[in-house]
Amino acid sequence: MASPLILLPGDEVPSEYLPSSNSAPLRLGAGLRLLSQPSAISPSHVISATQPGLLSTDNKRNAVSILSTPNRRYVPTPGDLVIAQIHHSSPDYFHCMITPQAPQALLGQLSFEGATKKTRPMLKQGDLVYARVLSTGLGAGAEVELTCVNPATGRADGGLGPLTGGMVFDVSTGLAARLIKASSSSGEQQDGVAGLVVLDELGKKLEKAGGFEIAVGRNGKVWVDCANGGDYAVKATVAIGRCLSTIDEHELSSTDQRKLVTRILRDMKIES
Amino acid sequence: MVGPTASLTPLSRADGSASYQCPSTGSNILGSVNAPIELPGRRDALKPEDATVEVFVKPGTAPGGVGERYVEGIIKNMLGKLILGREKGYARRGVVITLAIVGGESVARGDSYLTLLPALLHTSLLALLSASVPLSMTYSATVLAVDASGEITREPSVKEAAAAVSLHVFAFSSNGHLLLNESEGPFDFETWEKVHQRALAICHGTVARSSDGDVAMAEDVDGQPLEGALREAMEEKIQQDYSWKIDAA
Amino acid sequence: MNKEAPLSIAERDFILNALREDVRLDGRQADQFRPLNVSFGEEYGHVKVQLGKTSLIVRISSEVTKPHDDRPFDGIFTIALELTAMGSPAWENGRQGDLETYVSNVLDRVIRHSNALDTESLCVLKGVSCWNVRADVHITDYDGNLIDAACIGVMAGLQHFRRPDAVVKDGQVIVYGVDERVPVALNITHKPLSVTFHTFDEGKRVIVDATRKEEQASEADVVMGLNNAGDVCYLSKFSGSPVSAMVFVNKSSVALEKVKEINGIIDKALQADLAKRAKGGLMEESRATNDR
Repeated sequence: MASPLILLPGDEVPSEYLPSSNSAPLRLGAGLRLLSQPSAISPSHVISATQPGLLSTDNKRNAVSILSTPNRRYVPTPGDLVIAQIHHSSPDYFHCMITPQAPQALLGQLSFEGATKKTRPMLKQGDLVYARVLSTGLGAGAEVELTCVNPATGRADGGLGPLTGGMVFDVSTGLAARLIKASSSSGEQQDGVAGLVVLDELGKKLEKAGGFEIAVGRNGKVWVDCANGGDYAVKATVAIGRCLSTIDEHELSSTDQRKLVTRILRDMKIES
Repeated sequence: MVGPTASLTPLSRADGSASYQCPSTGSNILGSVNAPIELPGRRDALKPEDATVEVFVKPGTAPGGVGERYVEGIIKNMLGKLILGREKGYARRGVVITLAIVGGESVARGDSYLTLLPALLHTSLLALLSASVPLSMTYSATVLAVDASGEITREPSVKEAAAAVSLHVFAFSSNGHLLLNESEGPFDFETWEKVHQRALAICHGTVARSSDGDVAMAEDVDGQPLEGALREAMEEKIQQDYSWKIDAA
Repeated sequence: MNKEAPLSIAERDFILNALREDVRLDGRQADQFRPLNVSFGEEYGHVKVQLGKTSLIVRISSEVTKPHDDRPFDGIFTIALELTAMGSPAWENGRQGDLETYVSNVLDRVIRHSNALDTESLCVLKGVSCWNVRADVHITDYDGNLIDAACIGVMAGLQHFRRPDAVVKDGQVIVYGVDERVPVALNITHKPLSVTFHTFDEGKRVIVDATRKEEQASEADVVMGLNNAGDVCYLSKFSGSPVSAMVFVNKSSVALEKVKEINGIIDKALQADLAKRAKGGLMEESRATNDR
């Protein structure tokens, strides 16, 4: 692998950094755009960055994108998992908040597993749902649409649907993306996936306290529930929240993440 | 000459933020960017397919006035051309830039704001980068004062600026094109050519390296070009943020 | 708009349930402040306050002006607080919200109306000229408890600030530059600070230094302003559900303890800064002698 390349807006991507396979068309991800210079002799194309960040290439999918600053605001992208908060409902839709101070997204009243007019969930203001971004629309005035079912199968894959109880913690969008990556890939790795071992470590340590459920939204929200925790439920949830926010603020190595978990659990007086 | 000190994302609530200190004027600016957000009051209706850029400059020790509104206009006009307001998620949304002058000499009412303009522009750029707002390019800027004897001072203090005959602010894009030119006071075209050359050298180093020693010396006086200093600050931050990825590779 | 996004039901319920078990989201005790850091800039009266994730910058400035006609013996002291989109994306630039009015009002009452800064000492020449001291509060990050953080900032700034010396000679006011005469410290009569409490669970749970989410989940707030001697200069129960009078009685001792603790932190920071300046001054002097 070539050395990591950091680009700023306006920088051109050197061709040696692009995936080399010629069979599939090159896919441009976030933070990049194609510019062409019309010229009489030979029109030339360059790929130029629009956001600052680390160039990331995926040879398998023949894709290239920019990993941008982790604190940025979430911009809805189709396919993303998000935790949305119901703002109000209208006859056809629930109007949801994905990020504060941003336009509301629409979630169909029937976009739930097995929902019919009679069995649809009755969600009220302030309720949370785990949903997938279905579409973001085109052009001005476009509205973001969410769904809690896989439109192809009609099933709620991956825990989509209303989230009841528990607690939501705010993390940066960068950490949320890493958490999703870490939790979606299986297989024990010493250093964890995406540099995160915190969830594995918490899972092991909190097993005695009843374990926990977690849902991560790309919009920088993490929902945690320790429903089986009994007396420890609240403390364990708070401990998870504190671990996540500390890791968000300070870049920690996997050893330090393990130490952090031990320290916070001891501080919260939770036996492990 | 000591380069500017910049830090990225010092704040946690804003979507992007930066703090910037200019060594020669001592001015310290804190900037924040919130984007893309919904603007209340239908302020987006004029350009439905583009993002609306709003700039707010807050003076350090006085209520805001005409001087701030004037400089806000300059910054807004320039950034409006660089921000790619039609990118995904930005159309009809707002990019709100807030700049607070948190240190250094303040501009008295009626005094020229041009001395602070480069620092404000640099802070805005870094804050926009920190918020990952899509931009077509980056830039760097500087201010030069010309006194009665024709001597050029780089980034003058408030006192030096008051004594100067003319003040010139230049901003250059990352590929060396002139983006902004604001001048104040009487000057002739020859002087302008001279300050333009000097400004380009400050921002980008001496591009046209001629064989005579004078040009090389000018580079020494100005130290590291500003363009490079800003780039370094940003690269350092990204290196830090992605150390988990870079170290693993 | 100018309003933070509402909390979800889950957050509201969880914060309340956790408090019933005496647990706060950051692991603090009910009457424990977040880590407080007060630091000073290069100029006099430039303070940076970091209280947990809430941070702000206060800048004190002074200029000679004409006193108000009705108070010829008094100088002028104003506290200017403006919430910008920097502190929170929910705040709009250039538009005053309820929070801004409320915080400004409390600051005015705790610090200005309690005469923490002796305005009579700001008089230069009766009815002709006086000092106008201005405290600008820049909120850079908002995560709850704006009032206490701003009080800390303004009080620390007033104690740190040095105004230029001015004398009256033959009816003429002469202001000396900072390099001509040693600048003068302001006359601080006492050091009041505010302590804000938030109540939960029908007033049964009371916490200090609430974070933004705790503030949003709370039922009511109680603000107490007092100084090291325990003199109360402000007491308010501004909005929200009723609070038992016993809360005021019981919590005033907590408030006094906190005020003493915070004033201690400010004093320490001031002394450290003074020591640093003395050292820097000596170094400059030695450099000056070398030049000669």
